[in-house]
Amino acid sequence: MQKNKIISVKAPQLYLDLLNQIFEIEKKTSQIEETNSILRNINKMKEIFGNIFSSDAEGEAGLIYYNPIDEPYNETRTDLEVSIAGSSAENLFITEVIKPIIRYRKGGINAIAQKGVVIVETKDI
Amino acid sequence: MDNTINFGIDLGTTNSAIAKFVKGDVIVFTNPQDYGRSTLPSVVGFRKDKMFIGTQAKAFLEKDPKSVMGVFKRKMGTGESFKIKAINESKTPIELSALVLKELKTFVNTGETLESVVITVPASFDTIQSNATKEAGLQAGFKQVILLQEPIAASLAYANMKKEKEMQDGKWLVYDLGGGTFDVALIEIKNGEMKVLEHEGDNFLGGADFDRMIIEKVIIPKINAQYSFSSLEDDMKSALGKYNKKYYVLLHRAEETKILLSAKSSAEIIVDGFEDEDGNEVDMEITITRSEFNELIKPEIDNTIEMIKKIITKKSLMPTDIQFTLMVGGSTYIPYVRQRVEEVLQIPANCEIDPTTAVAIGAAHYAATKQIEIPKTGEVKKVTAISIKPAYQKTSKEREELFAARITGNVEGLFYRITRQDGGFDSGLKKLSARISEDLPLVENAYNFFQLIVYDSQNTIVETDMETIGINSGFGISGQPLPDDICLEVDDYDTPGTTRLQQIFQKNTILPTKRSLTFPLNKTIVKGSSDEVIRVNVLEGSHLALPEANKSIGCIVITGKNLKRDVSKGSDIEIAIAISESRDLTIAAYLNMADQEFKETFNPKVRNTKIDLLKLEVSDLSEKLDEEIEQAKGKEDYVTAGILSKLKLEMETVADETDNLTGDDVTDKKYQLEDKKRKIAQEIDNATKNKRLQIAKEHYYETKTECEKFLNENGNDYERKVFNDIVASETTFMTTNSPIKIQEKSDEFHGIINKIRWRIPEFLKDVFNWLKNEQTKMNDQTQARSQMDAGRFAIESQNWDRLREINYSLIDLLPRDVREQSKTKIGFGL
Repeated sequence: MQKNKIISVKAPQLYLDLLNQIFEIEKKTSQIEETNSILRNINKMKEIFGNIFSSDAEGEAGLIYYNPIDEPYNETRTDLEVSIAGSSAENLFITEVIKPIIRYRKGGINAIAQKGVVIVETKDI
Repeated sequence: MDNTINFGIDLGTTNSAIAKFVKGDVIVFTNPQDYGRSTLPSVVGFRKDKMFIGTQAKAFLEKDPKSVMGVFKRKMGTGESFKIKAINESKTPIELSALVLKELKTFVNTGETLESVVITVPASFDTIQSNATKEAGLQAGFKQVILLQEPIAASLAYANMKKEKEMQDGKWLVYDLGGGTFDVALIEIKNGEMKVLEHEGDNFLGGADFDRMIIEKVIIPKINAQYSFSSLEDDMKSALGKYNKKYYVLLHRAEETKILLSAKSSAEIIVDGFEDEDGNEVDMEITITRSEFNELIKPEIDNTIEMIKKIITKKSLMPTDIQFTLMVGGSTYIPYVRQRVEEVLQIPANCEIDPTTAVAIGAAHYAATKQIEIPKTGEVKKVTAISIKPAYQKTSKEREELFAARITGNVEGLFYRITRQDGGFDSGLKKLSARISEDLPLVENAYNFFQLIVYDSQNTIVETDMETIGINSGFGISGQPLPDDICLEVDDYDTPGTTRLQQIFQKNTILPTKRSLTFPLNKTIVKGSSDEVIRVNVLEGSHLALPEANKSIGCIVITGKNLKRDVSKGSDIEIAIAISESRDLTIAAYLNMADQEFKETFNPKVRNTKIDLLKLEVSDLSEKLDEEIEQAKGKEDYVTAGILSKLKLEMETVADETDNLTGDDVTDKKYQLEDKKRKIAQEIDNATKNKRLQIAKEHYYETKTECEKFLNENGNDYERKVFNDIVASETTFMTTNSPIKIQEKSDEFHGIINKIRWRIPEFLKDVFNWLKNEQTKMNDQTQARSQMDAGRFAIESQNWDRLREINYSLIDLLPRDVREQSKTKIGFGL
């Protein structure tokens, strides 16, 4: 019998909280000019999380966040929690990301550990 | 086989859930499309060619009300129907409820076919409304539907949790405050029969209203007080308003704050990211205390209490006649709701059951007592034979990939749905036709698996020959694998003065690939000097071999002359190594302290042999060879000694020729010499491997025995487990015949021994006594003296934890060991 197989993971909430903060910092630094290469430290932290479940026996595994800003949105996307701003619900694009999508990755396996929380709006093309 | 119904459904106004009774316990199925939640928003959305139900539909509820329907439960049993723009059809509340029920069926992952089910209805539902619910169940494909009142279901969940099969006669209230609706019911149990005596409710009150109130009554006034806006509230709440987007951001934050306030006495909301009408950047952190929030919702909660009072008066009861108020619904997580209800009514609030799933759980308990009674028709349902021929690209660099399929068999009345295995995509339920196509969005750089499932009109899965759809995004399978390990040379701290290899990429890793590592530097490099260097040397070849035996494919040398400032021992070096699909090697070394990056790309076609490095390696290898010959002779292993002596002759030629190379030699000579050197190294490696292996094995068994002894005397369960794990894999790593692998395991034993030692009072005392003798050498004499006093006291009072701490801090006071500062070659190591 075919079954609805969705891979799901429960990542420690502490890790998700920290990643959300790193995402915020990255978002904020991208708006300012700074000479202290803060981005390098941010990338370093992201990389630590990207390998947080790695082990010699099982290889690389960890949590990676993804910023879906400016991507088109429709109801087939189930990796997001969405609020629609504005008066129209057609031709929607992601205009603000409150929380990024966090994915768990191990080898080729890939699962959502946190849905992205976003605001979408109509955009005229 | 069970002959009871076992399945219970809470078909709610805002959220629904499904649960099953299994062997005395109830499991609530989780929403496969919304991981971590066990509820399904009761919302149905339509598009021309499909429908979508639940979380996704809820997002569109407010902004696309002509094609997305919610709260239809309120219209159950009325003649009203909903006109749906997207499909130009009308749907009755019964039809919409049936769709929600069908979707709930997909939560059931046990592979069972659901034919009988218990569905809950509000206490306020009359016969017509109840019959309408029953009809929705039948339309969803259930053959037997039994209805149960929601407050009774919640009470059953409570009774079963308490494991009281027979509840005491008496009365209690069920207070159900959910996301959007409020219900209260008075329940009585008499002679073992439970029934609803009276009920009240408000269809427009719930948690979502509290979120809105936080924004309207707290946040907006505070923004207005500090910044200048002419009509902020309207501009936020109006769909066409300038700040409508911000409103939804704040709504999300308000909800988070509300949840936080259930646990903490105050919480902050950050308001930022827009400008006021004078062009000032809005950036404020608003603190909301729990009491502020309580004040805010007080009128609403008092309203619910008024309803309860009405019930009590109507039934001529006293609060003392009521045993407790059972709290149900997500909003009863708010402490104030519980407090206020308890305080005003003087009836204890009971919060022992999970408020979000209690109704579904109670329904399942009830279902377990009901027999399946389906008239047997004798007719076996024919399974449609459906065959699916898919066509799609198995690898893709696009963001989306087109999937098409041709279907053979009778597709009449069937639906299909494609979902991505990580839960990030759901096509919705679409009509099946002879040809279907769908754009599948891909997660970059990962294998994407999709499932195509065919359903009949009642959402029962129809078996097909369709297999999982697998699409590889980003790196194609065509990417070539690495032919050999790629390693980084690091100082070997076990044998100071020598180096070893750290594996970076394993053989057969698919290109492109990248990785970065961080090491603390083991020496200080002074700006401008050229005495000390850092070498980032990347080699190709087995990581178990000696560094000299592998081929250097890229090396960056950093000296003091390259630095903007001094970098000290202990500061970090970040090394990033990337190999492109075309095998270009890029090494980037970043010195944290200097904030300087050294980056170079090496194209293996152009061999990058650094003459000074080659000279160093040759001289090291010669020394090593001499040692090995001595040792072999000492052991009277004349065969090995013979081979090595022959190699020594070759080595001398290489050494002479290398010495004659100038730093800027442009001929091929250096490459030839490097090859020769590598060959000799490999032969030394082969000739002496047995010896090293022997030593490693002896050392391993010695350490193992020692470790066992420590474990028996003072080990704990965890340490024993680690030990047993190593022993269990003994045959595996012994057969690798790799001295390095075996050494690693000995090191792990050492780790265990050390952990245990530092718990043993005798050992701690020995360490302390030794430190006492070293006191004169310590850096900070004042501190050393006070620590010594504290240590003596710790021994007297037998406070071993304290003594351990003191030992650690005393060790810190010791000057760095002279041996530790001996020459290192690489600048960092393991």
